[in-house]
Amino acid sequence: MPVRVETYDRTEDAARALSSSRSARFLGGGTLVMRAVNAGDQSFDTIVRLRDPSFSTIRSEGDGYTVGAGVTMAAVAQSRDLAFLAPVARVVGGPAIRNMATVGGNLFATGNYGDFTVALLALGATVNLAGSSGRGIPIDDFLRDRERHATSLVLSVTVPRPREAGAFRFLKVSRVKPKGVSVMSIATYLPQSGGRVQGARVAYGSMAPHPVRATGVERALDGQALDAAAIDRAAAAATQGLNPPTDAIASGWYRTEVAGVHLKRLLAGERR
Amino acid sequence: MTIEFRKEYFADERDDNLNEIGKPTQRQDALGHVTGRSPFFDDHLFDGLLHIRCVRSPHHHARIRRIDTSEAERMPGVVRIITGRDVPQNLNTLLSLLDFGIDDEPLLSEKKVSYKGEPVAAVVAESERAARDAVAKVRVDWEELPAVFDVEEAVKPGAPVVNDIYPGNLFIYHGKYDHQKLRFGDVEAGFRQADQVIEGRYQMSPIEQAPTETCGAIAAPETNDRYVVYTSTQALFFSLDTTSKLLKTPSNRLHFIGGTVGGGFGGKVDSLHEPLAVLGTMLTGRPCKYIFDREEEMQVGAPRGAERWYIRDGVMNDGRIVARKFIGYFDSGAYTRLSSYAIIKGVGHLPGPYTIPNVYADVYCVFTNRTPATAMRGFGITGVDFAIEAHMDKVAHAVNMDPIELRILNAYRDGDMKAHRRLAKNTALIECCQVAAEKAQWPISQKARQASSLREGGGERAKIPNFTAIDQNGLVTGFTAGNYARKAKRSEPAAPQSLPTQTPRHDSVPVAPRYEQPVRPQHQPAASAPPPPAPPAQTASDARRTRFSSISGLRRR
Repeated sequence: MPVRVETYDRTEDAARALSSSRSARFLGGGTLVMRAVNAGDQSFDTIVRLRDPSFSTIRSEGDGYTVGAGVTMAAVAQSRDLAFLAPVARVVGGPAIRNMATVGGNLFATGNYGDFTVALLALGATVNLAGSSGRGIPIDDFLRDRERHATSLVLSVTVPRPREAGAFRFLKVSRVKPKGVSVMSIATYLPQSGGRVQGARVAYGSMAPHPVRATGVERALDGQALDAAAIDRAAAAATQGLNPPTDAIASGWYRTEVAGVHLKRLLAGERR
Repeated sequence: MTIEFRKEYFADERDDNLNEIGKPTQRQDALGHVTGRSPFFDDHLFDGLLHIRCVRSPHHHARIRRIDTSEAERMPGVVRIITGRDVPQNLNTLLSLLDFGIDDEPLLSEKKVSYKGEPVAAVVAESERAARDAVAKVRVDWEELPAVFDVEEAVKPGAPVVNDIYPGNLFIYHGKYDHQKLRFGDVEAGFRQADQVIEGRYQMSPIEQAPTETCGAIAAPETNDRYVVYTSTQALFFSLDTTSKLLKTPSNRLHFIGGTVGGGFGGKVDSLHEPLAVLGTMLTGRPCKYIFDREEEMQVGAPRGAERWYIRDGVMNDGRIVARKFIGYFDSGAYTRLSSYAIIKGVGHLPGPYTIPNVYADVYCVFTNRTPATAMRGFGITGVDFAIEAHMDKVAHAVNMDPIELRILNAYRDGDMKAHRRLAKNTALIECCQVAAEKAQWPISQKARQASSLREGGGERAKIPNFTAIDQNGLVTGFTAGNYARKAKRSEPAAPQSLPTQTPRHDSVPVAPRYEQPVRPQHQPAASAPPPPAPPAQTASDARRTRFSSISGLRRR
């Protein structure tokens, strides 16, 4: 079968087309889907597109932002509202990729890709699917069942605004700079009250089949002042409960060895 | 960075009138590349272009019981499915064009496959996707066979036969031996004379050339019953002749157009794509494109082959190497391609850039169930050079000597006889070591600093040894040497061929050198045995004569 492209103006139509066929893929910016087409991926034969302008807008809502799934990395990097996410968007691919790659697509990126999603996970974003009534799905749950959501259309992601500047930090570790593939990525959201971390969220990319929370690190930091002793304890717990994968970029052993080092540098605010 | 020339070493070798060396020169294709205008083969567009994709073996070694293409033929967009039966001459070896080796590789295999990814059928379809979908519908009934991946395992008795043409899993050299021999002097006597014998084993891995543009070709019908072919080949006439042979088509009906190669490095000489693209065009009457995708380029595209070397050196305590013995195994993969030639080239290079009075080499071109190996940048030399230089360091350590000094002591000098019986000239290894040591601020002795490749070579060192130990190990029958390594048409199994009379191939008495004596006055190197006779006086005009070298054409001595 040749690959067929279906373009819709209405969200409901695109969502229906996507959910009614198991051999359909949604095309955001195409940085993943078109690569698969070019490599002869036979697992899909239909490409679904959506032309709704609201799909690629950024709106300020309450104590956060709703970012359309079609918003590109370049648009995030330029957005005044999303300035806290700009450093994350800027390390995704090169300029050509950032001009096309979308927030929605990043949620589905596998392997060593999907660094933006790591940041969303640390920030505790929610994912809004077409046709779902009411509130969105917490990103933790979405990632856990990511395969099941492949036939759903992601409309937007709601990102809470960090309570204080500096509470959110991000680091992408790659061998080739600036646009190499991740050895790992780390996002930390460590809001403090009374000099102590309250509600730590720490997420990794490339350390599991999808972005994951580093629960050991979170436990080591919660309720603690972010001092050298706490950072050491966090680094010691860096890969607790994780079994990092071995792939062309790095071995699982290497990832286990370096995770604590990079985490420590990020928490201590050291320049790399 | 400034380039520093040491032209003084070759001042009397050539006039210093070169116009390009040492001056910045823009590559002739650079402008086209940076402006995106260089035409690659895939930039040629044809109406109604068809796409070819191969059905490939998922096994390393398997017999093909049956290929069922019926379902694939009914798939939408499929125009034709090609199998081995459609190939007019479905057996070839690349170097048959030079009359070297026996045809051993089908374009599309019919009976068995000997490496993972070996093609057994090709789908010609309206789109690449349609071709892929149809490939997935071709049913092949495989009977998996035991496979062998290690060169030494492959030559043991009872090992799986990889390539039926060479039942011993070894390429046959000169119709006579299952390996390439090099005999110079008597290594065993050398080992007896030596203070120490130092051994080493060195293993290289295959290396993929990994061009940015994967290998491919487009063929299209042309007027007057001709076919035009745009190809990424590195060897246009090689590809043309191979196509002509496989398709039994006169070469004047093939119009090959090469040009910009999007990265080759040796990996684009195997001519796998042109014959199939032209065959597709012949069978469908439409333009056909056959190109590797990236995965095929990595898995099926032929790499530089792996090599294994055993080196045994007889060394005197003062560092002189008096005997060097090589046993080498080239992993040719499932078919010959160019490995047989790489070995000839490599053996001519032994024992490396050193003058050693006794040299021995047995080098085997071994068939295994791995991807066939082919050319890549200096193949035949780079692997064994790695082994030799690693071994030199090992020797230096064993005799407690500086590794650079060891190299200078043993380096060949102008006028020395090499093991393949050619006189060395323009050697300059000593000078190279001296400059490297100087630049690295590596201290070497006064004696090593004063050594020169221009002095103390030749003389006794220019002689072929009085005695060379020869043997008939690895002699084979059933192959004739008259027509280079061609397998005998029909050898009667009832009356096995008697062993040919042993005729020593290397003379055991001194031979008058076929090459002129080196021109420079020679002196006896301090290290070697009795003083040589004084060299004949040479005149300046002698020194300026030109001579013919089969390797580099006319050279002035």
